[in-house]
Amino acid sequence: MGNLFDSQVEIAWCPGCGNFGILRALKGALTELGFSPEEVVLVSGIGQAAKLPHYIAANVFNGLHGRSIPVALAVKTVNPRLLVIAESGDGCMYGEGGNHFLHALRRNPDITVIVHNNQVYGLTKGQASPTSEEGFVSKAQPWGNLSLPLNPLSLAISQDASFVARGFSGDVDKLKEIIKEALTWRGFSLIDVLQPCVTFNRVNTFAWYKERVYYLDDSYQPEDRIKALEKSLEWGDKIPLGVIYQHQRPTFQDKIYSQIEEEDLIYRGVNFDDLFSRGLRLFT
Amino acid sequence: MDLNLLVGGEAGQGVQTVSGALSTILQRSGYFVFSIEDYQSRIRGGHSFTQVRFSTTPLRAALKEVDILACLNEETYQLHRRRVKEGGWVLGAVGNEREAHFQHFLPLNFEKIAEGVGNKIFANIVAVGAILGILGLDLESADSYLEEIFARKGEEIVEKNKQALRRGRDEVIPYVSSPLIEETRRGNSSLLVLDGNQALGWGALLSGCQFYSAYPMTPSTGILNFISSHAKEYGVVVEQAEDEIAAINMAIGASYAGARAMTATSGGGFCLMAEGLGLAAMTETPLVVVDAQRPGPSTGLPTRTSQGDLEFVIHASHDEFPRFVFAPRDPQEAINLVIRAFNLAEKYQVPVIILSDQYLADSKWTYENLEVKERPDAPQFSSFPLPYRRYLISPSGVSPRAIPGLGKALVVADSDEHDEFGHLTEDLNLRVEMHKKRMRKKETMRKEVRLPYHREGKDLTLIGWGSTWGVIEEAGERLKAEGIDSGIIHFSEIYPLPLQIEELFSHVSLPVVVENNYGGQLANLLERELKLPFPFRINSYNGRPFLVEELLLKVKEVGKNG
Repeated sequence: MGNLFDSQVEIAWCPGCGNFGILRALKGALTELGFSPEEVVLVSGIGQAAKLPHYIAANVFNGLHGRSIPVALAVKTVNPRLLVIAESGDGCMYGEGGNHFLHALRRNPDITVIVHNNQVYGLTKGQASPTSEEGFVSKAQPWGNLSLPLNPLSLAISQDASFVARGFSGDVDKLKEIIKEALTWRGFSLIDVLQPCVTFNRVNTFAWYKERVYYLDDSYQPEDRIKALEKSLEWGDKIPLGVIYQHQRPTFQDKIYSQIEEEDLIYRGVNFDDLFSRGLRLFT
Repeated sequence: MDLNLLVGGEAGQGVQTVSGALSTILQRSGYFVFSIEDYQSRIRGGHSFTQVRFSTTPLRAALKEVDILACLNEETYQLHRRRVKEGGWVLGAVGNEREAHFQHFLPLNFEKIAEGVGNKIFANIVAVGAILGILGLDLESADSYLEEIFARKGEEIVEKNKQALRRGRDEVIPYVSSPLIEETRRGNSSLLVLDGNQALGWGALLSGCQFYSAYPMTPSTGILNFISSHAKEYGVVVEQAEDEIAAINMAIGASYAGARAMTATSGGGFCLMAEGLGLAAMTETPLVVVDAQRPGPSTGLPTRTSQGDLEFVIHASHDEFPRFVFAPRDPQEAINLVIRAFNLAEKYQVPVIILSDQYLADSKWTYENLEVKERPDAPQFSSFPLPYRRYLISPSGVSPRAIPGLGKALVVADSDEHDEFGHLTEDLNLRVEMHKKRMRKKETMRKEVRLPYHREGKDLTLIGWGSTWGVIEEAGERLKAEGIDSGIIHFSEIYPLPLQIEELFSHVSLPVVVENNYGGQLANLLERELKLPFPFRINSYNGRPFLVEELLLKVKEVGKNG
């Protein structure tokens, strides 16, 4: 089936990779929300997941490992009319880009961050990632990973992130709905997407996830931060999916534009003589 | 007339306030002012001082010899007493009077006098009053300056400062038989005083910079403060990033989205930005980065000056890509070069690095007619056939630039090696073509770079770059007065070296390269690119700027050996 967001670029992922599901869900969400490719900017870092923007017809900034969030924030700030999505893997967002992730939670830019979380490094062939289980064995950690896995959802909720959700790449329809909610949410939206790595993660397989994941039902109130924090701590035999926390608060660009009394930053041209004579007064 | 004042004390005693007050009062009284700041990386204690030189003619450098030394503490006296000229003045409750037989020595206890006004914190303003008394300036400009800077603290504070000023002046009047200022100037309101950081910030604002992201780092922080305080007036988004990596990536994102963007840091922060610099180069995103140099390696000397980053910024980030490296000689040129940097960054879609240093960043210069000749170019967002090729392989190496969301073009930028559309590629033939396309820009960029400032001299030629221009010029003039015909070649646009540079150097008298670094980094660059030897080098790396008299001595030493 043809899609406005179809790209001609050959896909370089392993057959059966969870990334395919995320790609389908994202394209579906963009189409169903009625966006056109030129209003969308996909910003990514480095890793298998970070190749995704090339497989969607849209504006793309495929930047450095870990650095997608600062770029996405700036793009959205300069042109708030663009839909800006930062997406990359768990190593990129939570490892190399951990500091930027933390500070995005504070700033609340109106961007959606989609993290392909397969709990392993794919592109560098199987080392532990920030979300790998303790004891995870790899070539780089032959006697098992010593560190505890990062809990991105708890971290985000504890810092009052505006929108926090978890999806599963094995359920494209439900993931698409979560993405749609995140894309229409005004503020920083995090979707941590559980995704099997068919090549390097023999522990957290499709079947492993399938046995454990369940969706939050309609009775769940994502506005309650303490409940959300409790929910985010649930991991093991049962893993909750869906929108876990949401809290509307002013966005970065709302605040900064009200401070400087501007609407956007798209190149306005410069009245040099006016700027110059106004400035001269500063130094006399 | 050419007078040099030095006021020193501990951090926290208000030495910087003294510097601001004296510079502004003298400027408003119609004098050309040149001041430097010397301070430690601490908020209280230690030793800091300011030197304020002023004259009826324009100034470009700092002197070693001092006419008035005002000491807010003993250490100031011990460190600087030998610099006081014969017949000069020493003020302060310091030292041993017998040492002072050759000069005017007034053992004023500034703090005690200030207590008479209500608090010893006014000691610095008492010192200002004493200095103005010796100079013979009336207090009109000083009063209005105090009203401006202390207005926010309320009328009482303004009044007490004015009293402190008068107490200081009254203390010295009985000892002043003839005031130091012989030539009075009518107040000239067209005189401007600005420091390097203000100039770099203002240059960005005049360029239409709309996005500034930075992480605070001495000595570049003044740029962040300056742009922030005028962000509303000029419509600029300013964001203090979580680190320099975020700062440069934000600036690159903003530029990709169609804003003029800049970031600034010092050498250590520039280390973190090296990765982002390569990103700007690979994605061909225009970017202006200021590196305000300080001594290193590593944390080094945070509040001191250096020219140690030239080789670093020319080569920073892995593999090769073209970039411009500029180093303004003074605040006026800093304004012009920032505007030029924005224009060239956009024209060639490359990073432009501006090298400042603590000396330029913090020094105040005075201009009668500030010349800003550069003008920001209109944005070059070209038209193009669809599907849009962001990295169209063109003869010049520059591809038409589109902005996401402004038209139908989908703008795909990639840090990976990419095809013309911006999609990542592993086609190695294409890699070669793309790398050649990027590197090709350097040839046109070389034509763009202006030749260094050049004045011929038969006996020797002093060569420098960036902030050392003024001191080299003044040392050269003194040499001339002593019968040594000294020329100058001074680079403000360093890299790539301009096209006709070989020709310029083909007939230069004994070249002596003067730099604030150990290795002679400009000299090394010239040796490598010109295939000529530059064995005579004057290098200083003690964290302080060259003073005129010191440079003069060093040049003479070289002269003896050369």
